[in-house]
Amino acid sequence: MADILQILILGLALGGVYALMGAGLSLVFGVMRIVNLAHPSLIMMGAYVAFWGFRLYGIDPIVMLPVAMVILAATGVLLYKLVFEREAKSAKYSEMTVLLTFAFAMVFEGALATAFTNTQRVTTPDYAVDAIFIGNVFIPLGQLYAGIVSLVLIGALALYLKYSRFGYAIRATTQNREAAELLGVNVNFVGLVSFAIGLALAGAAGALVSFVFSFFPSKHWEWIAILMSLVVLGGMGSILGTVVAAYILSVVAAFVGFFFGATLSTLTFFVALFVVLLVRPQGLFGEKPELA
Amino acid sequence: MSLLTVKNVVAGYGDGPAILNGASVDVQPGKVHCIIGPNGAGKSTLLKAICGMLKIRSGEVTFKGESLKGLRPDQVLRKGICFVPQERALFPKMTVRENLRMGGFSMTDKRLLEKRIDEIEERFPILKERRDQHAGTMSGGQQQTLSMARTMILRPEIVMLDEPSLGLAPKIVQEIFDIIRVMAADGITILIVEQNALMGLRCADWGVVLDLGRTLFEGPAEEVLADPRIREAYLGAKKAA
Repeated sequence: MADILQILILGLALGGVYALMGAGLSLVFGVMRIVNLAHPSLIMMGAYVAFWGFRLYGIDPIVMLPVAMVILAATGVLLYKLVFEREAKSAKYSEMTVLLTFAFAMVFEGALATAFTNTQRVTTPDYAVDAIFIGNVFIPLGQLYAGIVSLVLIGALALYLKYSRFGYAIRATTQNREAAELLGVNVNFVGLVSFAIGLALAGAAGALVSFVFSFFPSKHWEWIAILMSLVVLGGMGSILGTVVAAYILSVVAAFVGFFFGATLSTLTFFVALFVVLLVRPQGLFGEKPELA
Repeated sequence: MSLLTVKNVVAGYGDGPAILNGASVDVQPGKVHCIIGPNGAGKSTLLKAICGMLKIRSGEVTFKGESLKGLRPDQVLRKGICFVPQERALFPKMTVRENLRMGGFSMTDKRLLEKRIDEIEERFPILKERRDQHAGTMSGGQQQTLSMARTMILRPEIVMLDEPSLGLAPKIVQEIFDIIRVMAADGITILIVEQNALMGLRCADWGVVLDLGRTLFEGPAEEVLADPRIREAYLGAKKAA
């Protein structure tokens, strides 16, 4: 029984981090129909920001988190203005962004590897290797903090989307772009801001990931597969779906890992991806695909 | 005195061929206008050209003496012309109340917006009843009611409706046309495009017959209804024996 509780807690703590990693991806897809395969490589950038902040200046990665968010948001504005805005009118936009962001992922990976080598890194604030015990259940502090900060950020995002005027505009654009435009929403500006927010979330996730997992530039390929399975299970473009999927899969993966070993634990995500696409391609909260 | 004048407008989609080839309409204040014509006549295209969704290649659209040519949809909206497209332009995963709020997105006075939404809810009890329900889960008639009611938040001068009866049961269609009459009684000028030409003309004061992108006939709705040639060609009446 204690084992079960233990695994559940570990799964839930990681679930929050996965949810944050996927939330930005989901937002950007929902609003812009951009399938951002470079998202994990941008998370990687956030991780390096936090890593160097800690290594060089001894700044706690959670303190570096807002810095990573700002840097990544600025990157987002730049990318959007230089690349995505121009192509937004193209008929095959979504399909094209897959190739485009794939290329970006390789470029970012190469740049990071050139600048910082392929050495495994991990940020090591004291709490990253500490844990608290409740009875005989232990909770790694690093994962706990990362999980909590993720939840706070996702909560803030949800409240912003639900109640702010601009949040209305973002949701409206996601659900019916033409109608939003008819009602006076500047959909291009909404796209820009959403893209920047999406990347800021990648930066935040990176700062947290930096002390939860060890990382190196090419590790983002491993993450993209995991994130894709979250987004597909949740329903493309549904942030709530992505968050729920992150918790479900993370907990399931923790159990699989406990009973069948770590290798099969990662497999959980891929199997989920296949099963969802076969059984319920629209995911948990997605819309039924239109019959073309 | 006409409120909105469309004169010899030529327009089409993208770089494609012109769908409108010199369409003209005179919109009189406070009246209900119904545009009829066969499929592909350019009825919806005309509404889209007026509201700024399509570029007007030549011709003029003037609203109270001011040209609307080259304005974006949101700018046309601010002038007081609301457009409800065929697909009803709702946000399926936003609640009814949130959809109404989106109707007043361009308003800066939030308190005034909430007040107007309350008024709308009083007038359309179904919207009050369903206020926290996602718009996408309502029936077609309720969705049409919502999208029409939503235009009233901005107190527009002209509301343009593209096929408001599309896909609705006959009984519901009657309700929708009743709402149109209510809006007209409020002093809103209405411009509808209807596939259901008989029904649309019976509800309208003014009829416009459009074919091949041109205006063929324009006149009081009764006259359009009574004209034997129009009846035969566009209203599906049998040839007199």
